[in-house]
Amino acid sequence: MLKSLRLAALVSVITLTPFGFAGAFAGPLKVVASFSIIEDFAKNVGGDRIEVTTLVGPDGDAHVYEPKPADAMAMNKADVVLVNGLHFEGFLQRLVEASATKASIVELTKGVEPIKMKEEFAEGEAEGGHADHHHGDIDPHAFQSIANAKIYVKNIADAFCAADKDGCDTYKANAEAYTQKLTETDKDVKATIASIPEDKRIIITSHDAFGYFEHEYGLAFLAPEGISTEAEASAADVAALIKQVKEDKASAVFVENITNARLIEQIASETGLKVGGTLYSDALSPADGPASTYIDMMHHNVATIKGAIVGS
Amino acid sequence: MFRFFRTVSAAALLTGLSATASLADELTAWRLFISDHGEPVVHVLDALNGNELATFNTKAPAGLYRSDSGKTVFAVQRDGNIVQAISSGISASDHGDHGDLKVEDAKLLDTAIAGTKPVHFVDHGGNVALFFDGEGIARIVSEGDTLAGSPSIREVKTAAPHHGVAIAFGDHVLLTEPNKAKPEELLVGIRVVDAEGARVSDLHSCPDLHGEAASGNLVAIACAKGLLIAQAGEKEPSIEFLPYSDKLPEGKVTMLLGGKGLQYFLGNYGPSAVVLIDPTADDAFRRIELPTRRVHFAVDPVRPKFAYVFTEDGKLHRLDVVSGEIVKSLALTEPYSMDGHWSDPRPRVAVAGDAIFVTDPLKSTLHVIDAASFEKNRDIAIEGKPFNIVAVGGSGETH
Repeated sequence: MLKSLRLAALVSVITLTPFGFAGAFAGPLKVVASFSIIEDFAKNVGGDRIEVTTLVGPDGDAHVYEPKPADAMAMNKADVVLVNGLHFEGFLQRLVEASATKASIVELTKGVEPIKMKEEFAEGEAEGGHADHHHGDIDPHAFQSIANAKIYVKNIADAFCAADKDGCDTYKANAEAYTQKLTETDKDVKATIASIPEDKRIIITSHDAFGYFEHEYGLAFLAPEGISTEAEASAADVAALIKQVKEDKASAVFVENITNARLIEQIASETGLKVGGTLYSDALSPADGPASTYIDMMHHNVATIKGAIVGS
Repeated sequence: MFRFFRTVSAAALLTGLSATASLADELTAWRLFISDHGEPVVHVLDALNGNELATFNTKAPAGLYRSDSGKTVFAVQRDGNIVQAISSGISASDHGDHGDLKVEDAKLLDTAIAGTKPVHFVDHGGNVALFFDGEGIARIVSEGDTLAGSPSIREVKTAAPHHGVAIAFGDHVLLTEPNKAKPEELLVGIRVVDAEGARVSDLHSCPDLHGEAASGNLVAIACAKGLLIAQAGEKEPSIEFLPYSDKLPEGKVTMLLGGKGLQYFLGNYGPSAVVLIDPTADDAFRRIELPTRRVHFAVDPVRPKFAYVFTEDGKLHRLDVVSGEIVKSLALTEPYSMDGHWSDPRPRVAVAGDAIFVTDPLKSTLHVIDAASFEKNRDIAIEGKPFNIVAVGGSGETH
C-alpha cells in the first residue's frame, strides 16, 4: 500500500512539470492521444486549434497494444502527448524512448484519487507467492467516473494553454462548456442507476474496467480477468466467478467491445444469465456505432445495463 | 519499481529525478550463448564482463535459438538429428509496476527432441515448434514442460519431407505445404490444422515460402509476391495476404525478423537491401539500400528504435526503424564475402543490454560495441570459430 501511494505521488510530481512547450505557436497544435476516449476529450477542448493523432483507435485495447514505427513518428512530431497514466498504456515508455519526443507527456489522471484493484485478485496474487509486495495494483480506468473525466478535461486545457498561450481562452471556454455537458450526463447516469432496484445492482463484465464506475455510481461489477486484459482468466477464476454469481444472484452479464466474447458467453451459459449487450469499457465505438463519443458511451452503457436488468 | 521509473524515464531525466535511490535490490544480468562452426560445443559467457561461465558439449555443431521468454536456448543440430535444450539460468517476470529477475547457473537439460534433420525453430507464446525436414514432421513442446524436464511432444505431420516450418498458435498449428511435384523446391503455402491435426482451412497460397517472424500479436510469413500475416482469430488463426508494394523493385523477402517493443518486421529484399514492414500502415514497405551485400541482421530488443545490419564490407550499420534510415556505420572486421558456401563462417550480431556483440569467426573474436555511442569498446577472444550467438538477460528486482 505504501509503495502504491508513493508511486501515485511520484506520478503527480513528474506530470506537474511541463517541459518542451514552445512559446511560439504556428499552425494547429499537434496532439497525440493514447486512446479514443482521450481523443474525444482533446477534440472537445481543442476544437479547430488542434490536430489529433490517436494511437489506439475505436474498439482497440490499450492494455495489449503494440506501438508501430508510425506511432513513434507521430509522437516525435507532437507538441503535446496526452496519456491516461497509472500504467494503463503499457507501451508508453518504449514508445517515448523510440520517438525521442520533446513533447510534454501529460498524464491526465493527475489529481484523480486512485483506487486499488479489487481485493479478490490482489489476494490471488498473494497466494501465488508475492504476498510481500504489491504489483501495480492501482486501477487505471479512472475515466469510467464522470467526476474524473472532468479532471481529465481540466488537465487537457492546462496542457494546451501551456503549449499555446494564444489559444488559452478558447481552450478554457471549450473545457467549461464540455464540463457542463459532463455534469448533465452525470445526472442522467445517476438517475438511471437510481431506477434500478438496489438488489439487482450486481452485474458481470469481462475485465475489471468499471471499478471507478462502481465506486461512483453504486453498481457492483464482477469480472474474471482483472484490471488488464493481458492475462487470461484461469479456469479456476471462471469457476470461482460462476459460484460467486450464483451466490450473489447477479442480474446480468455483458460483453465488452475490446474483449473476446467467448468467456462471457461461457459464464452466461453456465449461470443461466442472458448476455445483456455490449458495454464500452476502454475504447469508444467507431463513428457509426452507439458510443462514438465519451458522453454517448456513458449514456449507452447505463442504458444497456438498465435495459438488461429491468427492461428499457 | 524499476519498471515504473523506466515508464516515466523521459520525464524523470528531464526533471532531474533519479531512480538510483530505489534501486538497491536491482539486478542486471546478460548472457551470451555461442555455438561453433565445426565443434559440437556451446559456450556461455557473461555479457557484462566477458567471462566464460560454462561450456556444454552437444551431439553435433548447433544452430542456437532463444525462446521468447529467454529462459531456454535450443541447440538445433541438423547433422546430429537432435534438438537439445539449455536452461539459460535467467528468468524475468513482470509484476505490473516492476519486473523481477532470477539468476541461476545455466545448464544443459536432459531433455532432447530427436528426429531427422531439424532446422526451423519457432516459439510462439511458449509453444516451441521444431520442424524436422528429413521427415516433414513438426514436433511441438511447451517451454515450461521442457524446463521442468517432462515435455510431452506433439507431432504434426505433413505430406512429405521438405524444408518446412510450423508455428503453434494455441491449439492450432500453421504448417507448410510442400511442393508435391518437387518437394526439394520451395513451398507452396500454409495450412492450419487443429488440435487433432485436422485441417481447418484451405491452403493459404504462399509460393516460394521462406522466412517467418513474430512481432507482438502478428506473425509474418514471407512469400514470392508478399507476406502472409497471421494473428489469433475468434476460433482459429486468421491469415491475410499483404502484397509487396508496387514501389518495390522486383524481389522478395526470404528472411524475416520481428521488432521487439515496436511492432514491425525487418526482412531482406535481394542481397543488398532490407525492408521495414508495418502491415498496418498505408505504405507498409520501406526499402533501405545497403552499401554492400547483407551478411546478418538483428533487432534491438532494448532500444526498440534500432536494428543492426552487418554487411560484407565488414561494417555494422545502425538502422533507425522509425525514420527508415541508416544513421551510423562502424567498421569492425575484414571483409566477409557472401560468395562461396552459404554456411561459410561469417559474422553474426546479437544485442545484450547496453552492448552489441558481433562475432568475427575468422579471428576467433567477439567485438563489443557500446549501444549508446555505437563505438567499439573492446574485443573478447573466443575459442574456435563462433557460429550462432544469442543473448538473454535483463534487469529486475530480486526478493
